[in-house]
Formats: sequence, C-alpha cells, structure tokens
Amino acid sequence: MASKKAAQKSLSLAPVLDLNEATALHKQLMGLKGNPLVIDASAVERVGALCAQVLMAGAKSWEEDRQSFTFGKVSDPFMKTMQLIGVNIDHLLAQEIRQ
Amino acid sequence: MDMNEIKEIFFQECEEQLAELESGLLKLNDGDRDPETVNAVFRAVHSIKGGAGAFGLDDLVSFAHVFETTLDCVRSNKLEPTQDVLKVMLKSADVLADLTNAARDGGSVDEARSRTLIRELEALANGETPAAAEAPAAKPAAAAPKAAAPAPVVEKPVVNDEGFQPIPFSFGDFDDEPAGHYVPTVQVVFKPKKDLYAKGNEAVLLLRDVSRLGDMSVYCDMDSLPTLDKMNPEEAYFSWKISVTSEKGEDGVRSVFEFAEWDCDLDINTIEEDVVGEVTEDEEQPMQPVPFDLSMLDEGGSAGNDEPAVMESDAAAAVAAAETATKVAQAASRAADNKAASAAASAASAAQANQAAAAGQTIRVDLDRVDRLINLVGELVINQAMLSQSVVENDANGTSSINMGLEELQQLTREIQDSVMAIRAQPVKPVFQRMARTVREIADITGKSVRLITEGENTEVDKTVIDKLAEPLTHMIRNAVDHGLEMPEKREALGKNPEGTVRLTAKHRSGRIVIELADDGAGINREKVRQKAIDNDLIAADANLSDEEIDNLIFHAGFSTADKVSDLSGRGVGMDVVKRSIQALGGRISISSKPGQGSVFTMSLPLTLAVLDGMVVTVAGQTLVVPLTAIVETLQPEASAIHSFGASQRLISIRNSFCPLVDVGRILNFRATQANPMDGVALLVESEGGGQRALMVDAIQGQRQVVIKSLEANYTHVPGIAAATILGDGRVALILDVDAVVAASRGQSLRQDISLAATG
Repeated sequence: MASKKAAQKSLSLAPVLDLNEATALHKQLMGLKGNPLVIDASAVERVGALCAQVLMAGAKSWEEDRQSFTFGKVSDPFMKTMQLIGVNIDHLLAQEIRQ
Repeated sequence: MDMNEIKEIFFQECEEQLAELESGLLKLNDGDRDPETVNAVFRAVHSIKGGAGAFGLDDLVSFAHVFETTLDCVRSNKLEPTQDVLKVMLKSADVLADLTNAARDGGSVDEARSRTLIRELEALANGETPAAAEAPAAKPAAAAPKAAAPAPVVEKPVVNDEGFQPIPFSFGDFDDEPAGHYVPTVQVVFKPKKDLYAKGNEAVLLLRDVSRLGDMSVYCDMDSLPTLDKMNPEEAYFSWKISVTSEKGEDGVRSVFEFAEWDCDLDINTIEEDVVGEVTEDEEQPMQPVPFDLSMLDEGGSAGNDEPAVMESDAAAAVAAAETATKVAQAASRAADNKAASAAASAASAAQANQAAAAGQTIRVDLDRVDRLINLVGELVINQAMLSQSVVENDANGTSSINMGLEELQQLTREIQDSVMAIRAQPVKPVFQRMARTVREIADITGKSVRLITEGENTEVDKTVIDKLAEPLTHMIRNAVDHGLEMPEKREALGKNPEGTVRLTAKHRSGRIVIELADDGAGINREKVRQKAIDNDLIAADANLSDEEIDNLIFHAGFSTADKVSDLSGRGVGMDVVKRSIQALGGRISISSKPGQGSVFTMSLPLTLAVLDGMVVTVAGQTLVVPLTAIVETLQPEASAIHSFGASQRLISIRNSFCPLVDVGRILNFRATQANPMDGVALLVESEGGGQRALMVDAIQGQRQVVIKSLEANYTHVPGIAAATILGDGRVALILDVDAVVAASRGQSLRQDISLAATG
C-alpha cells in the first residue's frame, strides 16, 4: 500500500499549548495526515484540554488511517497533565520511553 | 484588600448585573425566548444574591431569593414569560436596584412595594397568574425609612434557606468514630461546554484544583471525540467523571467549579462511605489515579530541570504560593461574587496560571483621577501653545531643530489628549436604561400603556455629558408620557395603537451628539399653550406668533399646561430647567410638534466639554474662536458677489446660490455699523436648524485646538458666546456659539430672556 511507504513525519509541540493554540495545532496535524507521525512533546510546559482533545482526535484519525502515531519524547508536565485529566497515552508512547 | 473595598467592588458589580438584568428582561419582553437570555437574567440576580449574602444584606438577599426562585421557574419552562409576568419582573428589577442602592447609600426603600412584589413573585412561582389590576405601588408616604445597611456581619447567618455563608459541616453524627476517620467522597460528572473554553477557562486547571482537595481519580470520557478532520478544535468533547475524597467535601468541590458552573454540565454528589467501594467497582472504566506532585502545572514550575533538589524546592514554593492564592481567592469569593473574587485573585496569584487571562480586560479608575489627568492635559496643551508662540516670537530665523522638536511635541500633546478623551468616552446606554424604568413607573401611575424604544445606545459621549444628561432626560420622558401620550381609550378612539410609543435615539452628527425624544401622542396643544402664556403675561394677548414660537413657549419658566399638578410633572419647573441644564452642557434643545401625531424634542450636545478644534479669527479687534465642526468653507468675498437685500440685510452669492451674510461684529455688538464685506473673510457655516449662513469676520489667524473653559462657571453666560479659552499668549478668547449667532441673524434678539428661539 502506498500509504505505508509514506515518509515518517515529526512534529515538535510548542511549550505552551493553551486554549489559543488548539486551532493552530489542529491545522498542523491536518497537514501531516496520511503519514506516520512522531510527536515530540519534550518542550511542553503547559497543555490545556483543547489541545489534548486535538491530539487525541489526531490519534484516532491516525488509527483509522492505519498509520502510526506516537509520542517520541514527552516532558514531565505533559505526562502529568495527561494523567491529571485522565487521558491515557501509554499506548502511544514510543517503545524506548515506555516504562 | 479590606472588606470595604470588596464591598465597593460588589456594588459596582451589582450595577453591572442590574443593567444586565434589565436588558435581559427587556429582551424577553420583546419576545426573545433564547434560553441564554433567561440564563443571563437568572445569573444576574443570582450573583447579586450571592454577594449580598456574604455582606449580611438580608433585605437584598431575601428579595433576590424570591426573585431568583421565580426566574428559575421561567428557566425551567414551568412559567411562561408572558407580558404580565415580565411586568412583575421588571418592577422587581427596579426594587432590586432600590434595595442595592439603599444598602450602599443607606437610603430608604418602599417596603410596601417590595412586599407586594414578593407576594406577586411568589404567586408566579406557585403557578398562579398575576393579578390583572394592581394598585399603583409607589406611594411616597408608605416608604418606611430603612436602616442603613450594617457593616459586614460575620457571625450573623443569613436568614435565608439557601444561604451563601459557608455552612459548617457537622461531624456530630460520627462522634463515636475517631475524628478524621470519615472523609467524604464526592463524585463529580463534569461536562464542559464550548463556552467554558471560549471564556478562557481551562478544564485542566479545574481538575488540578479538584485534585488538590484530596485523593482524586478521574476518568475522561472521549466517546464524543470525532476524528481530526471532523472536529472543531474549539469545541468541548471531553467530559470527566471524577471521584475525590476530601475533607472539604461537596462544598469544597463546588467552590472549585464556582467560576465555571454556567458553562458546563455539572453533577456533584457525595456518596455514602459504605457505597464508595461498590460505586467505584461498578465503574466500568478504570479511573486513572492522579499524580501527587502537580506543581509542574503551575506557572512557577520549571520543566526539564536537571537538578532534582532545586526542582523540589521550586515546586514546594510554587505549591505554597498557589495555595495562598487559592485561599485568598476562596475567601474573596465568599465575600464578594465571582468577578470580584477573580479581581482579588488576579492581584494575589501569579501562580494561578490561566484564569487571570479571562479577567483583566478592563480596570476601574476613580473618576477624579481621570478628571485630574484631563485637566493636566488641558494645561499641557495651553502650555505647549504658549511655548511655540514664544519660540516663534523670539527666534525669527527659526532654528529648524527647535521647530521640529516643537512640532513633535505638538503631535504628542494632541495624541495624549485624544487618548485621554477616549478614556472618558462612554456609551449612553446606562442613561437610556434608566429611562426605561422611568417610563415604566410613570406608565404605571398614569395608567397608560407605553413602549420605550431606544436606538443608538452605544453612541459614545464624554462622561460628564452623560452624567448631566440623566436629569433633563428624565424630566422630558415624564413629560412625554404624562402630557404627550393620550390615555389608551382615547388612543383607541383616535384609531391609534392603545400602546403609546416613546422613542429615544442617540446619534453622532457633525461632531456633536444628537439625542432625540419622540412620542406619538397628541402633540402640543398650541391654543392651550398660547392661552396659558397670555394668562401668565408671557406674551401680549394680540401677539402674532408662529407655531414654532408657540411650541418654544413651553421652555419658559413657570409654564405648565397640565390642568392639575401631578406627582410626576407639571410643577411648572419642567422644561425651563431642562433647557437650562442642556444649555449648561453647551447644548441646544428644540421641539417640533405635529398635532395628533406627537412631538419630537431634539437635543444637540458637544461630545466633550474639554477641547475643541477651532478657527481663531479677529472681529473688531477681538479674538474669537469658531468651532471647526460648524465651518463648511471659508472664502474671500468679491464685490460682485455681495447683494443688498432689504434695509440692512446682505446676501452673498456662492456658486450661483444666495446665502445671507452675517456680520459677527455687528451681532455681538462689537461695532455699531456694518463692516465692509470686502475687507473681511466669510466663513460658510452650517447651522443646527439646517441652512447655511456666511459669517463675516475681519481676518483668520489660524486653526488650532483650544481647551474649553466654561464661561458660566467663571463669569456668567454671554449670549452668542459658548465658552472661552486661553490662547498661547495667555489672553482669553471667546468661543463663538455659531447657532445662537445664526438665530440672531434671523432677526431674533440674542438676549436670552425674551428669546423665543428654539436655539439657546
């Protein structure tokens, strides 16, 4: 399948993913659709619910497209916020950082 | 921030809430059935009640409570907001405003009225229809003086079944068990709406605050989350089921959601201890336990710090700071209502990350401070003018750098002035809203049915103008309803809508604000006005007056056409007082009336009372300033263009049309004979009443911005002169009242006391 051969893309998330950032993030992700994606969340200092929604919707879309959607690196605040809001991203973490 | 400051904020908030309440009710009255409108109305009353409870303002709380209960019936569709229902509600809003004012200023409220309304509201809430005929409520005699609101009472609980005082949780039932053993577990279903985010609230922060209360586990429901391409990134999809075990119990959890409760579906329940296990086990979805250290999520938390020890102390400090902030915020939120609390919190909490972003769009400033600033800027403008003048005089060859610097200074001064004036500009909306109440009350007392339509509420005008506008407007509205509109039966007999209409309009026109008050009543009864004027020796019995002149008679002191003096209007001090207050604002008032169709009062006021762009001219050796807004063009008259007309009138022909030529020096009595038009300059002006005139002056000195100094306040009113100003050389120059001069040129005298002119 052609899509399987698509080049892997990566996306580095901005440090502050607040309410204002959701639309931009959505746009960024839409632009990367159809390619396997590795997200670098190591710089994230703050993440809001809207951006979390966008990321999870992304994960859902990628799953439908049968493409891989992983978080390559995550910062501590990012992980903790996700845990706080009850969003489990364990299955999306890259192998090497899974504990 | 001490208690009094918080209280002051509360009252300011009350004013806003009351305005919100009234505009919401009026919308409902106009048939708006948007649930959000009902919610806004409910919220307004709720907030007032909440704050009032904290300050121990019992009267306010108990009234607001009854009001709220009835509104809740409307909100839950148990009560249809019919016209009759809304009538009661609008009156209740008025009483609520009275109670608020009484609580602030220690005035009195009409207790009979509020009791009647409480009964009516309760009747509505119980599903009874309001009594069709109500006795007129406002009888001043019945107003029992009410004691001033007490200072914040701390111990005294609110005598209200739904008190806002924190209710101490009683552990009495668990005395047998060791203290601290029982900790209530609270279950929360939290489903944000789009608005929650749109208003800058962040679900993450709410969850963080909940997690701080105690042990929390959370399940995020993502079922409604669509795929990326189908989603709106600003819509709320996530919802949460939270279970938190905390000493603070349900109340503690509620207080976290206090700011957000309107923008989310919220269900908070305490579960019995023995059930806790079952419920959590029954939960199909596993809840995620929440990490213990959430300090990272605070603003102060530093991410990716390599030094664990440092990070820990940072984190501890951040937690401590956040806790203080939360405590301050909570204390304040008990004391004042939501917004007041957020103001207190935003001052105190750098640690409370995003929430402050929602507030902080505006600041409240003491009017005195703004006034002082404006005064200073006025002085600055004068000073700057003086400086440039002396530079020009002393330095004939003009060093370019000084001149450039001066020009820049002038530009800056101008900008500062504009910005300062913008601070003072306010929409006329609050004044118009107050008028709605006046109309309601008078309609009630007179038994007339009146509809007030307002237009251009957002027209902005200087705050001083707004403040001084309310009184004359109230007078005029009273007159319009009391004298202008006919009784419903009579209107019906005349084939008019039994409901009278009063239309209040504001608009900007050529640098002034024009406010129009129109009614569709009977119009001015000229025969009666004339007769009255003859009776009062205002005019001779055989005087030949035009319709316009008769209409303007009502602006005379001691004039009232009402046969009997009513409570409302007709004490004979009405319209002349109105006219004087409008004139004091540098405004004019005129009237046009059509028998059987109603009257229109038009007020034209300056946008600001502080500065003016003017053309500085010389007339008979005097320096005058002509407001630039009035001037259409300037021209040098040629002999061929001047035509004599009648004994002393002259016309000037401009582009094949004739325009009366007015010698300003002659009108103002600066000189005894008319000047030669060829020696001067003509200023073509547009007057308020329409039509153009050419004002003749001797020479034009230049164009500049002048700071208005009131002539009335410092000297006395001079006919034909609007105000004065101080020029760059320190001399006083008079500002010409163009309309008065134009009116005078029509053969009417400038002297005010015998003037029948519409203009002032």
